[in-house]
Amino acid sequence: MSPFRKIAPAVHSVDKIDFIEPQHLLLQGGTSFFTLYGGTQEVVKLDFSFKAGTWYESSKLESLMAASMISEGTTGKTAREIADRIDFYGAQLHSVPYYDNNYVSLLSLKKHLPHLLPLLAEIIKDASFPEHEFEISRQKRKQRALVDAEKVGLVTQRSFLRSVMGAGHPYAPVPSPETYDAVTLEGAKSHYRRHYYSGNATLFASGDVDEAVQKMIIENFGSGWGTPFPFKNDQPVATSSQEKYLFIERESANQNAITIGKRVPTQHHPDSAGLKLLTTIFGGYFGSRLMSNLREEKGLTYGIHASVVSFVRDALFMIHAEVTAEKTEEAIKEIFFEMQRLREELVPETELAPLRSFLLGRMLEDFDGPFARAQSFSSLYEAELEVGYFDKIIYAIKSTTPEQIRELARTYFDPASMYTVVAGKR
Amino acid sequence: MIQFEKIILKNGLSVIVHTDRSTPFVAVNVCYNVGSKHENPERTGFAHLFEHLTFAGSVHVPDFDTEVQRAGGANNAFTSNDLTNYYITLPANNIETALWLESDRMLGPKFSKRGLEVQKKVVIEEFRQRNLNKPYGDVWHLLRDLAYKVHPYRWPTIGLVPEHIASATLGEVKDFFFHHYAPNNAVLVISGNISSVEAFRLTEKWFGDIPTQEIEPYRGQTEPKQLADRELTVCRDVPIDTFYVAWHMGGRSERNFYVLDLLSDILSNGSSSRFEVKLVKEQKLFTEADAYLSGENEPGLFVATGKASPGIDIHLAREKMLEEILMTTKTTISDYELEKVKNRVEADLLLNEIGYLEKAIQLSSFEIMGDASEINKQGEQYRDITASDLLDAASQLFREGNRNTLNYLSLQNSQK
Repeated sequence: MSPFRKIAPAVHSVDKIDFIEPQHLLLQGGTSFFTLYGGTQEVVKLDFSFKAGTWYESSKLESLMAASMISEGTTGKTAREIADRIDFYGAQLHSVPYYDNNYVSLLSLKKHLPHLLPLLAEIIKDASFPEHEFEISRQKRKQRALVDAEKVGLVTQRSFLRSVMGAGHPYAPVPSPETYDAVTLEGAKSHYRRHYYSGNATLFASGDVDEAVQKMIIENFGSGWGTPFPFKNDQPVATSSQEKYLFIERESANQNAITIGKRVPTQHHPDSAGLKLLTTIFGGYFGSRLMSNLREEKGLTYGIHASVVSFVRDALFMIHAEVTAEKTEEAIKEIFFEMQRLREELVPETELAPLRSFLLGRMLEDFDGPFARAQSFSSLYEAELEVGYFDKIIYAIKSTTPEQIRELARTYFDPASMYTVVAGKR
Repeated sequence: MIQFEKIILKNGLSVIVHTDRSTPFVAVNVCYNVGSKHENPERTGFAHLFEHLTFAGSVHVPDFDTEVQRAGGANNAFTSNDLTNYYITLPANNIETALWLESDRMLGPKFSKRGLEVQKKVVIEEFRQRNLNKPYGDVWHLLRDLAYKVHPYRWPTIGLVPEHIASATLGEVKDFFFHHYAPNNAVLVISGNISSVEAFRLTEKWFGDIPTQEIEPYRGQTEPKQLADRELTVCRDVPIDTFYVAWHMGGRSERNFYVLDLLSDILSNGSSSRFEVKLVKEQKLFTEADAYLSGENEPGLFVATGKASPGIDIHLAREKMLEEILMTTKTTISDYELEKVKNRVEADLLLNEIGYLEKAIQLSSFEIMGDASEINKQGEQYRDITASDLLDAASQLFREGNRNTLNYLSLQNSQK
């Protein structure tokens, strides 16, 4: 066989990522309108985001139910008429609730926009919240919640969020499927009225957004709609649970789920970029410490991951894995062992160098094509960060030293500060 | 339209190149014509276990993943009933790293007893996580076993039981490799920011000298025509009653596949579909109702399923869904509804032409089936479908004797 196979081909590092910002326009009604032109097909994606997530709820599930009622009827059209039109033009419409912002997005062939934009405008501005549709949607979601409650992985992750943030925190998931019985049509409707107005919206249009398309978008969404709602950011401060270890019994489980982690500083904190790098070394990619030890060395799990989950006003460090019930203790011990190792030993450059290249590649991917770029910039603006944040991330990837990584581990990976939630068989 | 060029190397490797200058990346996708259907019925789950093993390094490369990372790339793989597919995406100027790695994987993985023992454990954990410890996780084990009596689609890719995986030996692993992993049993697709000239030159350099192997002939038996309806009822620790009804249909490359795909769209794709409008919204029998194709290359299944609304008897709900399904054998679809589902397909096909990796994977799977250029005929296949095609296909499919019903009931509900 050819001798050249023994030597790895030379590699080039990623040296240029185009962070050119999207074109911005402030529409008359107060909507921030961003355009990202590009792509190879005559396709356009519109993404509305409203500051209307769980953070803004006055009681649980209002945000979710409000989002589920977008496209379920307007003053002039029934749910069925709307569905029929969207489907007839082969478009995809999604209304997605989340923690900080809720989204409404439309993916469509450019040629159908003249039919779909007025419909989208009507759906967003004039949702009528019919009772019949509300009940159907609530039942469907409650059933899904009942099924989710049987999945040990989801059970630990949700309990973990409630423990760390405090059960009353607006980001904390609901305690049980029965919570769905309490949400009312009026509650969901008033959530919609308060938060889905033009001045509370950001719009990203990406893909084949030429001048004609831009003009059409402005015609449909340029002037104001809805009534501004004076939301005071005075959500009650919830207190984290005193109990750092929680075991949830699931007798029939033949695998236990483990979630471990804690609250960490938000993306605005100077340590944030370095902490992301540390978390990746620890459990954020296939070659991570946790994957190498628990999966590739010991075969304890199909997958183990650590990540920093960022909200606008909070951030969490989280480790998650599912393992054979009998191996639970061993898995937890190994997780803390790897944490401790990062607090004591320096990460060798032989491990860091490929990781740095890998992360630069992922960063390049985040800006590949108009849809990916729209996603990256919309997350950036949503977190109220400047475009310079991307450079900070790149700098952290390229230049964080092993000493700095150890220092970060000493600050953030203190085993005593971690919450541990296990669901399954004792 | 996805433009591509194709050559076949002397060792039998089919190479396809699709240039897409809109991305700074390339994808190197290698698809082997081996899936769980090629397995010994006593050693199911083997193709997928094997996929795991090939990541543990190869003849000249001690550590696959680190090399991909060094080149700024990402890699993964999947195994289906029909095939095993590996891909690496990376910045275009580092393409040689991907070709080096994938050609070395084809030359021969580094098999070790230890590696095998660890990956057996990992795959058994995957089996537990996805199938044994998840509500409704064993549905496809039950449904396949009910619908197939002889064809190897009888078992899912993960395998029939964890014991099959646990008992795999190193000798069997080596044997499997030499009988299936060879240039004359694979398709290489390169897509993204590279010219075809350059891609073909590099392919010759890295793959040209890999020896041809004798491929083990495929022994899957044709499933005999089903003559009597079958029904199986199980009770499980799940919160909601459900059912799966499956009918035998034709293979992926038959014209009828497209007709039935459209039929499943009419029934359940989108909020204006028949199931959604009638069964979920009007009659409130289900909270979720779905119809879809299992989608394998050889004759597969047309499946209908649903979760009953609270308080609704699951058998009643199922009968109502069957009534709705059987309507398609009696009433001709309106021009409007036909146009609607065709528009949806047109949009979906165009969206499938956006991602360079997705294009590579699709080109590979069409080539494995026989001809990559079929990818560009899909639009026409769908456009040509008439209302009477749908009526005919539905009548054939939903004939008496062709039905397999799995009732999957909630233990909690039955004890109430």
